[in-house]
Amino acid sequence: MKLGLALWLAAGLLIATAGIPRAEEARPIAQIKKVTGQATVLRSGERRTANVGDMLLVKDVIETGPDGAIGITFIDNTVFSAGPSSQIGLDEFQFDSNDFRGAMLADMRQGTLAVVSGDIARSTPGAMKVKTPTAVLGVRGTTFAVQVSGNH
Amino acid sequence: MMRRTILALASMVLVAGCARQALFVVLPNAEGGGTGAITVDDGKTVTTLDQPYATAESRAGSSAPVEESRAEINAIFGSAIAAQPILPHHFRLYFILGSDELTPESKIAYRAVFDDTKQRTVYQIEVIGFTDTLGDLSYNQALSLARAAAIRETLVRDGLDRQAISIAGRGKRDLLVPTADQAPEPRNRRVEITVR
Repeated sequence: MKLGLALWLAAGLLIATAGIPRAEEARPIAQIKKVTGQATVLRSGERRTANVGDMLLVKDVIETGPDGAIGITFIDNTVFSAGPSSQIGLDEFQFDSNDFRGAMLADMRQGTLAVVSGDIARSTPGAMKVKTPTAVLGVRGTTFAVQVSGNH
Repeated sequence: MMRRTILALASMVLVAGCARQALFVVLPNAEGGGTGAITVDDGKTVTTLDQPYATAESRAGSSAPVEESRAEINAIFGSAIAAQPILPHHFRLYFILGSDELTPESKIAYRAVFDDTKQRTVYQIEVIGFTDTLGDLSYNQALSLARAAAIRETLVRDGLDRQAISIAGRGKRDLLVPTADQAPEPRNRRVEITVR
């Protein structure tokens, strides 16, 4: 009896674990469309040069140098463009292309960011957020910009 | 009373004396559409910005509306705005009844999809096929996918990258124009295309 229960629990745990979207994390969430000057992508602790056409994954951090700028388009059609000396973490991103619903959290650590929101903000009110060191920005749509100063 | 006023004044001077930590601006929508809106929540108060060039700032951890000139906003965000990619665009093309062949009008409209894509350095295209409600589910599922596939073949034939084009079919679900079952409706016989 006890063994049976344990087996069921183990099976349940397996299913639950399988339900955690590990593959989701490896799925591209955005594509780099424009790069000016120095721009890099920090992924799993490794910093690589950002190239036009590269795909971005959830948890990537995009960074620009003092002369750099980068433009990216997400799979929900949200568009980000960052100016010089910027650092932006793509902390959370879920999107279902069937019903256009999802959630998104960007971590604006430093620099300047212009945003045109896409399907997530349109279909799921309150689901798109941009975190800054001092405040959390909720997006109702569509075009806005954020600057975070270097010293806070 | 006096003391409280002095304290309040002193704290205002203190906050004003602190460096700006963050700036939030609603910009005019790039390609028309209504005005956007954002909320700025500093943990104590929520500021709503819902007019073009409405601006808030954070000082000493607190956020509040602030006046900022357009010239200053453009100076601060000029580089970020200049780095903006071409925005994603949507297209809708229509098909002949029971066929994966475009209507004559949509054959002409197809050029806009191709031209839009060619403007982009790198691109991704999503093509989703749909049908009207004539026929059963499996027939329409197959037809909707055939429509999306036909568009992909045309785009590839015209020189675009097959790897950058994804297709899907939704059959007779997601009607553009709601109808009863078994209803012919030209506007439902379509593909929805996103180019980004």
